[in-house]
Amino acid sequence: MIQKEVALLNRLGLHIRPAAQLTKIAAKYKADVYLLKDGMRVNGKSIMGVMMLAAARGSTLTIECVGDDEQSLLDELVILFENKFYEE
Amino acid sequence: MGRDERKEQILRGIPAAPGIAIGKVHLIVYDEPDVTPRKLAPSEVPQELSRYNIALDQTRAAIERSRDRALDVAGVAVGKIFDAHLLILADEIFHDQVRGRIIREQFNAEYIVYDSFGQMIEVISRTQGEVFRERAADLRDVRTRLLRYLRGEGDVIPDHPTHEVILVAEDLSPTQALNLDRSLVHGIITDIGGLTSHTAILARSLDIPTIVGTGDVSSRVRDGDSIILNGNSGKVILHPTKESFAEYDAKRQRFRSFQQVLEDLKSQPAVTLDGREIELWGNIELPREAESVLSHGGTGVGLFRSEFLFLTRETTPSEDEQFSIYDKAAEIMDPHPVVIRTFDLGGDKYHAGINIRDEKNPFLGYRAIRVSLSRRDLFRAQLRAILRASARGNVRVMFPFVSGFEELRESLAVLEEAKQELQQRKLAHDRNIPVGIMIEIPSAAVMADRLAEQCAFFSIGTNDLIQYTVATDRANEQVAAYYRSYHPAVLRLIEMTVRAGERHGVHVGICGELGGSPAATPLLVGLGMRELSLTSSMIPEIKKIIRSLTYEECKRMARKAMKMDTSQEILNYMHGELKKRFADLPIWFN
Repeated sequence: MIQKEVALLNRLGLHIRPAAQLTKIAAKYKADVYLLKDGMRVNGKSIMGVMMLAAARGSTLTIECVGDDEQSLLDELVILFENKFYEE
Repeated sequence: MGRDERKEQILRGIPAAPGIAIGKVHLIVYDEPDVTPRKLAPSEVPQELSRYNIALDQTRAAIERSRDRALDVAGVAVGKIFDAHLLILADEIFHDQVRGRIIREQFNAEYIVYDSFGQMIEVISRTQGEVFRERAADLRDVRTRLLRYLRGEGDVIPDHPTHEVILVAEDLSPTQALNLDRSLVHGIITDIGGLTSHTAILARSLDIPTIVGTGDVSSRVRDGDSIILNGNSGKVILHPTKESFAEYDAKRQRFRSFQQVLEDLKSQPAVTLDGREIELWGNIELPREAESVLSHGGTGVGLFRSEFLFLTRETTPSEDEQFSIYDKAAEIMDPHPVVIRTFDLGGDKYHAGINIRDEKNPFLGYRAIRVSLSRRDLFRAQLRAILRASARGNVRVMFPFVSGFEELRESLAVLEEAKQELQQRKLAHDRNIPVGIMIEIPSAAVMADRLAEQCAFFSIGTNDLIQYTVATDRANEQVAAYYRSYHPAVLRLIEMTVRAGERHGVHVGICGELGGSPAATPLLVGLGMRELSLTSSMIPEIKKIIRSLTYEECKRMARKAMKMDTSQEILNYMHGELKKRFADLPIWFN
């Protein structure tokens, strides 16, 4: 199991579209992924789950990956966060 | 209820769709769906699961239909809302949780759906920020549709009125807004929402006078109350007096007859009283919006924003796909011209398929032609698609964000490569396709006399030209006052561009917001502009202005304006002149 803390910097926070991008990446990997924030832990392969975090711009999340290809999954997700989900 | 509460009250909101409506309130209250938990017998569980699966399929199909209709009626912005609903519905993990709960808890699917969505809605609606409030509304909308299919009610909208009314609501769901019946709904007033909310966009497309963001109107009215709304000014009059009725009835008559005047102008050319013809073209994002350009009397598409092909998806569009889209627009407009602007990505428009690094100044950064020139594969594919469409229709190509000769020369070289590739593949194309550039960077306006040697046309993008000339980010509210559309420097740059075009026989048009602003029309015509490309819905009004003035008086106005010192002076002057001549323009109906 590996974890990494990331900052959410896209303008509108973790709403439907970013959540969809995130889950789409997660779906490509065998490893499970969870997002942790303020004591909540949600399944990173579920759009609804990710939206449940109601993460606004500026919040900090922890990504947790568990499984064979956990490192590459984590790396790809970190890039997504660093690039602010390539959106407005 | 005391009699005092029936007194006339005036409320204000954001005018979201023009027009005046007078009528009776039909209040739409958001009702939590009435869902009763029903314990299942263990033998009923499999059937309950299959009921859930069937309802999911039906709901998905219904949302897809809404998405297509939304694209048709209102364009990409509203279509995207229903795309988001489809994403919500595509969450298999969530569905597994629902199925798991049906099996474990043995309650009816309606109850489990209601409750599972309910938990999410509660969390999300407690979060700060407009976006999350809208997301909660999206979840409610999807849940309502899913529950209706579970109950076998189908996709009916039970809240819709059966007689002529003015709708009042805290907010309309995207599904409600999409299914408005214009013949019954004469006006809309909502508590929340802004100019770009789905309700506002749909109301404008459906031509229903609308005011949004009134704060609390829905808690102040009851069904059947008399109400007046002025979608031009944002004013709501509740329990109007006889005098107000008479005043607004007269206003409505004038507004309607002005609309009729515009309607009658539809097939008339946009020509000044002394015979100078001005082309009025439309700006579009989707090929089918070309129909709206034609139906509003436009005679060309001056700006096809091709980047929408990227913005609604995550993969990059293929040459063939682009060809069929450009071809469709050209076919609809034929024989009128369609100017396709190559992708304007970057700035505030990002796409997952193109890696745009975090930039300190995205508007001064990796944007538009700069992206295209560094992604030659994408650029050539787009140019090939445009060239192929040019073999079949009146298609022109335009490069955005050109700052000087370098980008123009490089782009022309890539265009040549694209032509050669098509020749090798023996695909038809117009070898002499007219090539133009956007004039939106001040350096390009200053160099216009030289750039004109290499182009067939210029199109002035006023939004960016203003932003770069006065160094003001137009999305930054803190400095909004510095974004001055009528800044004399901007007008000088426009004039320089027009003169350069005239000297070299280069067609000069405008495709920014200024082109659709009534106050700017006489000024732009007076400066010598031959073509204005604007939002389709504004074409009739701008045409009316052009047909009521002489070119000579426009020139006089422009000369006078060019001697003034500030944007505000010029705007006041233009408003004054306009008000003298056009007492019935919608902008005066306060």
